[in-house]
Amino acid sequence: MASTVTKTEVLFGKKMKRKEDPRLITGTATYVDDIQMPGMHHAVILRSPYAAARIKGIDARGALELPGVAAVFTGADVKDVGPVPCGASLPGLRVPHHHVLAQDRTYFVGHPVAVVVATDRYIARDAVDRIEVDWEPLEAVAEPEKALEAGAPAVHPQWPDNKAFDYHQEHGEVDKVFAEADVVVKQRITSQRLIPCAMETRGVVAEWKSGEKSLTIYTSTQIPHLMRSLVAGMLGIPENRLRAVAPEVGGGFGSKLNVYAEEALMGFVAMKTGKPVKWIESRRENMLATTHGRGHVDYYEIAAKKDGTIVGIKLKLIQDVGSYHQLLTPAIPTLSVLMMPGVYRCQNIRADIVGVFTNCVPTDAYRGAGRPEAMHGIERMVDILAAEMKMDPAELRLKNFIQPEEFPYATATGLTYDSGDYAKPLKKALGIAGYAALREEQRAARSAGRLMGIGLSTYGEICAIGPSPATPAGGWESATVRIEPSGKVTVHTGCSPHGQGEETTFAQIAADELGVDFDDIIVLHGDTAIVQYGIGTFGSRGTAIGGTAMYFAIQELKAKIKRFGAMMLDCDDVTFSGGRCVCDKTGKSVSIQEIAAASYRAMKLPPKTEPGLVATYFWEPPNFTFPFGAHVVVTEVDKETGDIEVKRYVAVDDCGKIINPLVVAGQIHGGVAQGLGQALYEEAVYDDSGQLMTGEFMDYCVPKSTMMPWIEDSNTETATPVNPLGVKGVGEAGTIGCSPAVVNSVVDALSPLGVRHIDMPMNREKIWKLVQGGAA
Amino acid sequence: MKIHGSHRLPVGRERAYALLQDPEILAACMPGCEALVKVDEDLYEMKMKMALAAISGQFAGKVRIGDRNPVESFRLIVEGTGKIGFMKGEGLLRLREEGAETEVAYEGDVHVGGTIASVGQRLLDTTSKMLIKRFFGRLGERAQ
Amino acid sequence: MIAQNFEYETPSTLEEALELLADGAKALAGGMSLIPLMKLRLAVPERVVDLRRVPGLNSIRVAEGQLHIGAMVTHYELESTPLVRRSSPLLAAAAASIGDVQVRNLGTLGGSIAHADPAADYPAALQALEAVIRIAGKGGERAVSAAEFFVDTFTTALEPGELVVEVSVPVEAAGTGVRYEKCEQLASGFALVGVAARVAKKGGKVSMARVGVTGLAGSSYRAKNVEALLEGTTGSAQDVTRAAAAVAEGKEANSDIHASADYRAHLARVYTARALRAALGTAG
Ligand SMILES: Cc1cc2nc3c(=O)[nH]c(=O)nc-3n(C[C@H](O)[C@H](O)[C@H](O)COP(=O)(O)OP(=O)(O)OC[C@H]3O[C@@H](n4cnc5c(N)ncnc54)[C@H](O)[C@@H]3O)c2cc1C
Repeated sequence: MASTVTKTEVLFGKKMKRKEDPRLITGTATYVDDIQMPGMHHAVILRSPYAAARIKGIDARGALELPGVAAVFTGADVKDVGPVPCGASLPGLRVPHHHVLAQDRTYFVGHPVAVVVATDRYIARDAVDRIEVDWEPLEAVAEPEKALEAGAPAVHPQWPDNKAFDYHQEHGEVDKVFAEADVVVKQRITSQRLIPCAMETRGVVAEWKSGEKSLTIYTSTQIPHLMRSLVAGMLGIPENRLRAVAPEVGGGFGSKLNVYAEEALMGFVAMKTGKPVKWIESRRENMLATTHGRGHVDYYEIAAKKDGTIVGIKLKLIQDVGSYHQLLTPAIPTLSVLMMPGVYRCQNIRADIVGVFTNCVPTDAYRGAGRPEAMHGIERMVDILAAEMKMDPAELRLKNFIQPEEFPYATATGLTYDSGDYAKPLKKALGIAGYAALREEQRAARSAGRLMGIGLSTYGEICAIGPSPATPAGGWESATVRIEPSGKVTVHTGCSPHGQGEETTFAQIAADELGVDFDDIIVLHGDTAIVQYGIGTFGSRGTAIGGTAMYFAIQELKAKIKRFGAMMLDCDDVTFSGGRCVCDKTGKSVSIQEIAAASYRAMKLPPKTEPGLVATYFWEPPNFTFPFGAHVVVTEVDKETGDIEVKRYVAVDDCGKIINPLVVAGQIHGGVAQGLGQALYEEAVYDDSGQLMTGEFMDYCVPKSTMMPWIEDSNTETATPVNPLGVKGVGEAGTIGCSPAVVNSVVDALSPLGVRHIDMPMNREKIWKLVQGGAA
Repeated sequence: MKIHGSHRLPVGRERAYALLQDPEILAACMPGCEALVKVDEDLYEMKMKMALAAISGQFAGKVRIGDRNPVESFRLIVEGTGKIGFMKGEGLLRLREEGAETEVAYEGDVHVGGTIASVGQRLLDTTSKMLIKRFFGRLGERAQ
Repeated sequence: MIAQNFEYETPSTLEEALELLADGAKALAGGMSLIPLMKLRLAVPERVVDLRRVPGLNSIRVAEGQLHIGAMVTHYELESTPLVRRSSPLLAAAAASIGDVQVRNLGTLGGSIAHADPAADYPAALQALEAVIRIAGKGGERAVSAAEFFVDTFTTALEPGELVVEVSVPVEAAGTGVRYEKCEQLASGFALVGVAARVAKKGGKVSMARVGVTGLAGSSYRAKNVEALLEGTTGSAQDVTRAAAAVAEGKEANSDIHASADYRAHLARVYTARALRAALGTAG
């Protein structure tokens, strides 16, 4: 029995199946759409079919006549609801007022215009068709570089140049090193607009209790606490009368790291109608109206010496903002700038960002948020430089890496890289791939007329976001650890995991620290009525910050457990380990379960000690963490059709200490899938008039399981000194390492034809044309 | 979306030009057209009901004729709005005598929005071509 | 993605079904095309007639050298039934290439061809097989060839109120080599182009060639010029390439965000050559 034996098995580092999975794969988890309430009404939103249009009038009478329709609200009704917030600030940032429903003008296809509330979804949907809107279509612009041209239609009439912000960052002697450089290479590189495609679309249930004057919002979000603070402000209700619940959340990838118009809107609707209201986003709405990711046009220049030493990097970055700033929109490209030197020792950098309004849905965080763009840029440029200098791309990288003894390393962009050994994963990956043999094979393939490519990336990234001064809303995380009278353990984390497996990894840490059974621990999250204030799950921060907060809460509890143990054993020096307090002198011991019971029964208390075993800890990290890794990709191009076959995919990732290798592998696999999606298939395509042409999975191609290569994944482990667990974060690494390695591989395959760069997605026809016509 | 193509009408150019400007003929030949009412010189209001296999939708819209250069060319602008979206097509039609027949070449732009735009990409090109083909097919029948 | 209200009927005889259809109702087979359209409100039928309980539409049988398949036979049944795999491996291959398992479990042969999506897979095979499609209406039955049946994008020889009841294809003679080669549009799984080939050889020469094409143009078609170029040759690599080069001649190739007209025409040539080569490889 667990309560009487000393636990010796260490779970940290052990492959363990996830606690979350049985409920997820048996359909017994509770998502927003599973919530039912007596008297619940349903909302459907009328959205703009035009990218830009004036609303000359709205006639909702036809909708209101339909039996079952309770109410219709339009822009005029919600004028006083506060604007959808932008949490990021930059000097000179232009922030358009973002109403929860369009007022007299719409700015993108999918812009919410009116909401119908009815007794069921079908009636609400029928009623939407009965609303007559008198539209005056206006000229729209959907492409950032076109939006910057003189005479382009103004997205927001008050800013005819369509500029949302400018941002400049510089370090070192950029002009000098470029002037003195032996080699300078330049390239325009895009990171196309992507649709995050979480498996669960967004959804909100709002319930207003008029007697208690309190509102509950159930929403599919990554940040329930921040959502509560901000939506309370938008609705003008006290924060403590708004409860936010993130039930099971079926993926977010950054698209739910936001506060959306619909969240406040459903709160508003519930308060106005007095009915619980449910809104579930359709897939089409999800593609049209949930934030997109990426949307970069980058102009890179990199300068090097004859021996391949990189001395300077210049970047002009055009960020497609879309029509509004969502929560973090303007901050995303600044993350790209922070990471622009990658893993290389280069102290001379210059970056200029221009954020551009377009008549498209706003862009914001998407798996990697700013870092995939940066790594794609620098890793492509390093390959272009290697090609220019006729150097082996692996050698060029090894030459420029920051060396292990240089950590902590101050970058040109103002970061301090915590720890690293960049050559280690690269050498390991090259070893697994059999690099030398692959180059041999490639020579043979080429002389046989086949197009085989070998590409690699060595990425670094910022995780554990992040120290509070570096974030818009506080970068700490919180945990409460409660040992119940029976000795069972309940952890409340301020994180809001939605697929990351933190219920498992946190339980592994807690089981080791407290010496209790893995199954005796539950991890709760996502309900502001239960959990102390927290920040949320994004930016690969959950375990590194939230896990550390829990670790420190447990340390406080352990001190208290020892006081109780000392009292119960009548012993001055006790040791707590493996779930037991042992008297150093007598060897007698009590279990944590016995101590828990005694602490609540409180017949007798140690001096200056309160009853109970609960501790809360808010942990402020001293720095970010910086994971890294190397991916090696072997491809072959079908000359006849342009099809790309990914023949090998080797990923060696270093995310610091590994708590659960299965969870790490899962994150890498998923991340690589999304990286491959960007490299090969995905693109949100808008036509000239701002219509989204990829508004369904019929046209927007995410990789299916059958399209995935076998991933040969492994790790190196370089602990971070930033937190006592030594963990860095792994949620985004797969994506970040992937796209440059794949593009580098295909460019390598086509290099005998003079091809130097290919923009993503590398679809068949694009490749076929390159094979036909040569250089790009 | 850019469209272009050409169709042949089994009549001379004068007659072809006249047919293409005749609201009654246009109404009878435009696939799905249920009514075409003249509201102004060169401007007609139109009601359309499209039915293609399982797909169906009603549109209300306008047909405008412009840049008239009799028997040589004119511009045709068709706009329609319905619950499933909207479309706007604008094209220049050029007529060329080919013996006793007339070749009508068209070149223009089609914009669609709403549901049809975001879910029908795969089928827009082939569907619009088919509709244009049907139109000229019927016009050809009428012409004789 | 919420359909409009509709009435739902489940007739248990063909007559009853035809009666309801004559009244303007819409037939429902596997629902793999109709239901998504209804959810998008691109289809708004007021009444839907489910054909599932209509007897006789599910049979697969061989008679007088022909394989007869009921309209309600699913893609999965076609792909997996030994009788079909033996009698018409080409049709089984086309069925196996459709969508994903869920779609194949529900989608039907009759529904697919009645829908006449210009990128559907069956039409290529049915053109190459010179299939005969049996149609029933209130006024009686008729049969049309595949070439007559597929008229244009989403347009077939079906008159309003008519149903496809059966599709007949020849039982493949021993020695005929067949192949369906499909270039998938990776998002939807539909064909950018799909080419079905059947070939037979006699005395070292190609004695019969049939080529059906889907995805390239507004409707599927039989590429008779390719067939003519190949028949009578030895079927060498050059013969195949030369013949395949003609596959898009005279056709206006489709263009969309997934493939331009030129690229589609190119793919059609490549896939025709691949299908012919593979078919010749198994022809004996
Ligand atoms: C995700 C997905 C992927 C797909 N991929 C492919 C693919 O790769 N290749 C491919 O070919 N198809 C594909 N399809 C389409 C699929 O094959 C459908 O099953 C098929 O097009 C329609 O068949 P159904 O039985 O589902 O018909 P339904 O959807 O029920 O009906 C379709 C239409 O046919 C009519 N109809 C049905 N039965 C009859 C009949 N017996 N007589 C007359 N009219 C009738 C209906 O009224 C309706 O108009 C895909 C579908 C989906 C959802």
